[in-house]
Amino acid sequence: MGIVRYFRNILAGLWNLLVGLSVTTKYFFKGTTTQQYPEERLPLPVRSRSMIKLIYDDEKDQFNCVACLMCMKACPNSCIKLEGVRQADGKRRMTTFKLDFSTCIFCGYCVEACGFDALTFVSEEYENSVYKRGSLLQDEQAMKWVRPHSPAAEAAPIENTAPATAGAQS
Amino acid sequence: MLTGENIVQLVSGLLHWAYAQAGISSLAGVIDPIISAVVMFGFIAVFVMFLVWMERKVSAHMQSRIGPNRVGPLGLLQTVADAIKLTIKEDVKPVNRDKVPYFIAPIVAFVATFMGMVVIPFDKGVVVQDLNVGILYIIAITGFTVIAILTAGWSSNNKYALLGGFRSAAQIISYEVSLVLSVVPIIMITGTLSLSGIVEYQKQAGYWFILPQIVAFLIFITSATAEANRAPFDIPEAESELIGGFHTEYSGVKFAMFFLGEYIAVVVSSAVAVTLFLGGWLPLPYLDFLHIPGFVWFLAKLLLVIYLIMAFRWTFPRLRVDQLMDFGWKVLIPISIINILATAVVWFCLYGKGAQ
Amino acid sequence: MTDLLLSQVKLSGESQFGTDEYVVNMGPQHPATHGVLRLIVKLDGETVKETIPVLGYLHRSIEKISENRTYPQCITYTDRVDYVSAMSVNLAFALATERLMGIEAPARAQWLRMVFVELQRLASHLLWMGAFAGDIGALTPFLYGLRERERILDLFEMTCGQRLTYNYIRIGGVMIDVLPEFVPKCRAFLDYFEPKIAEYEGLLTYNPIFLERTKGVGVISPEVGINAGICGPSLRGSGVSCDVRKQQPYLFYDQVKFNECLETAGDCWSRYKVRMNEMRESISIIRQSLDRLEPGPIEAKMPPVLKAPTNSEIYSRIESSRGEMGVYLVGDGTAKPWKVKYRCASFSNLYLLDELTRGWKVADIMAVLGSLDMIVPEVDR
Repeated sequence: MGIVRYFRNILAGLWNLLVGLSVTTKYFFKGTTTQQYPEERLPLPVRSRSMIKLIYDDEKDQFNCVACLMCMKACPNSCIKLEGVRQADGKRRMTTFKLDFSTCIFCGYCVEACGFDALTFVSEEYENSVYKRGSLLQDEQAMKWVRPHSPAAEAAPIENTAPATAGAQS
Repeated sequence: MLTGENIVQLVSGLLHWAYAQAGISSLAGVIDPIISAVVMFGFIAVFVMFLVWMERKVSAHMQSRIGPNRVGPLGLLQTVADAIKLTIKEDVKPVNRDKVPYFIAPIVAFVATFMGMVVIPFDKGVVVQDLNVGILYIIAITGFTVIAILTAGWSSNNKYALLGGFRSAAQIISYEVSLVLSVVPIIMITGTLSLSGIVEYQKQAGYWFILPQIVAFLIFITSATAEANRAPFDIPEAESELIGGFHTEYSGVKFAMFFLGEYIAVVVSSAVAVTLFLGGWLPLPYLDFLHIPGFVWFLAKLLLVIYLIMAFRWTFPRLRVDQLMDFGWKVLIPISIINILATAVVWFCLYGKGAQ
Repeated sequence: MTDLLLSQVKLSGESQFGTDEYVVNMGPQHPATHGVLRLIVKLDGETVKETIPVLGYLHRSIEKISENRTYPQCITYTDRVDYVSAMSVNLAFALATERLMGIEAPARAQWLRMVFVELQRLASHLLWMGAFAGDIGALTPFLYGLRERERILDLFEMTCGQRLTYNYIRIGGVMIDVLPEFVPKCRAFLDYFEPKIAEYEGLLTYNPIFLERTKGVGVISPEVGINAGICGPSLRGSGVSCDVRKQQPYLFYDQVKFNECLETAGDCWSRYKVRMNEMRESISIIRQSLDRLEPGPIEAKMPPVLKAPTNSEIYSRIESSRGEMGVYLVGDGTAKPWKVKYRCASFSNLYLLDELTRGWKVADIMAVLGSLDMIVPEVDR
């Protein structure tokens, strides 16, 4: 009986090897799922936490930020440095805003804490690599971002209008 | 009609005319083999580069990836770029290496495997040297690899490399046995050791040896994969265990030599498999009216077998060293001995005393 | 540790030909140590005589940092404790804090948490499967695993905007409600994913080489496993029922039907099989949770500044992808925890490595290490 089992084991092993080969052969003839990054760019979901921007109101010609310091307090890594002054009309305005992206962990607490629609994530900009570490310390001019005037975006600000990633489709 | 034999005759005719013009006809016996060896070397170099590209593409598509596609059309020149990069790279050497063996090992690995190509018949008459002991020669010459790998592992003074070298010694010596034993039935049937002779026998017999000798074919492919240190038998380099195994400390051109040597070993063993079991340059049955040259058939079959070996690599896990020995000695060798006996009995019953 | 290394440098005094132990330093940079784990392996030829894990190469003192952060800020650090299964750690900390402060998250948030934690379990097990197969020598399952994992990450990114460090499960609820198209997309993914498990199993489960490498290797007996504090799928492979989801149901795990996957052999193959079966159970849990998802608030009513009661302490545990994930919190009446301690499954599972590999071959270290599903950031924290 030992001999029979010996040969049966070998045949069963061969069969299971063929099962494995069939899987890889199937995918050999199937299409690929890879995207070619620099040429093909995936549209990121609108909720994507990629780059923090300071919203600039070009109608009022000023930043929305009123320097309430909530973002500074919310930040777990203290990477936001923020100063503001009380202007002649009695309203506080931000004068300097510095965000050190080298210590930022993109947790999103600052954007959530902001009650004045002054901070936002911009999902289009996700290539954050720089050549010098110092360039990661961005000030209000580097972070300035004007919200594009499109009726669709204003009508449904939270809707995911971007098409799903190709990875989820194919 | 375009056949490999015609091309060879044409080229040698041209060469001999050139010799006559230059007044060196008496040296033709010396120069001819050199020229054919150089041609073979060039062919192998290009073919291996193609194989590296092919392996990367095959593995990529098996894994739903694209693979190399930047350099040249379909990334075909990627290997060229890699070769250039390896050539101009700094040759990092461990300080405490054993200098001479460390230097010689990659050369031996490369040359030993390449020399096997000398007796492979690509078409009727298209062979560098049609030895009458071709199989014996190939088995003997590929056995050199173990020396190269053991030397490399030992001389580079690295613990991983040493482990890899020892593993390789154990592995290649064991699998050499089953490799030889799997070839024996073919030699028994044909009564010749010449590779061209075996193909001619298959032509006359009207069938390929893969049909009666499927077991021998499987054993041969398995042992050949092990001989070439390819996954699932790649324990001498075993990336997840020994980092690079015997070539951990090699870089630049020396690494490239090991790398190419591995691929040439794959080509040699696949070419032998094609010659022995798949009818060499013979066309597929019922397709001879197409008048496709024999070497095209040969290359097509070669690529098929190589694809198979690549598919093994990218599908199967790796055996452990003791299991590898178990598999070689307790499964492959008994079965190949049984196969020899069965072949002997069946052929004796069918054809009486002599199979000729 | 250093004197151990020094003793290798010294030649044995009595004889020039005395045999030394063959000490191999695996890691911190080694293809099979999954990051920066360092193993000092004493070998006798191919046979392993001793394996000593050296920890600390990825120590970021997350527990100490957390003592200087407010409770919500700690959540961002929990992402980094086990970045392959960040949702689970998020949940572990959030649940501990909620229990400490007596907060109850609304139903919708609970169901969402279950969906995301189970999706995370799928993602984590997929990565584990690939890495484990890669350790054994099969490289293709890794790519297959990551291919499916990407789609799970797409679902995560769609919802919370991140692919790795989510910071999604918060104290008292979740960060943001899912998009309306999330539910159909999630269901579509599950339908796509379910047959893939059979494919992975075709590649691995009964492959004779895989069986050779994993069957009977690294056997943890139930007694040894319990005594050594092994937990999660690694212990369930030995047949010990230890699923926190069953034993101390949190969220709504008592309201969904699922089986605790158990195998009896306790070897690498059983641990592999447990995880593969767990993926199927997770799919069923996600489906049930999506069915029960009803509109409602996603965040509990909470004071603006969360403060734990004075001299309060809690040990709260969940079943993370790797096993029992415990969080021990001590509150001192301020907005910051006085003490945070994570009880991580990887750390306790690593404990048995030496015992499991002693007397086996070098290659078995990789099989055992892979089958324990160890993640270095979780070991070191």
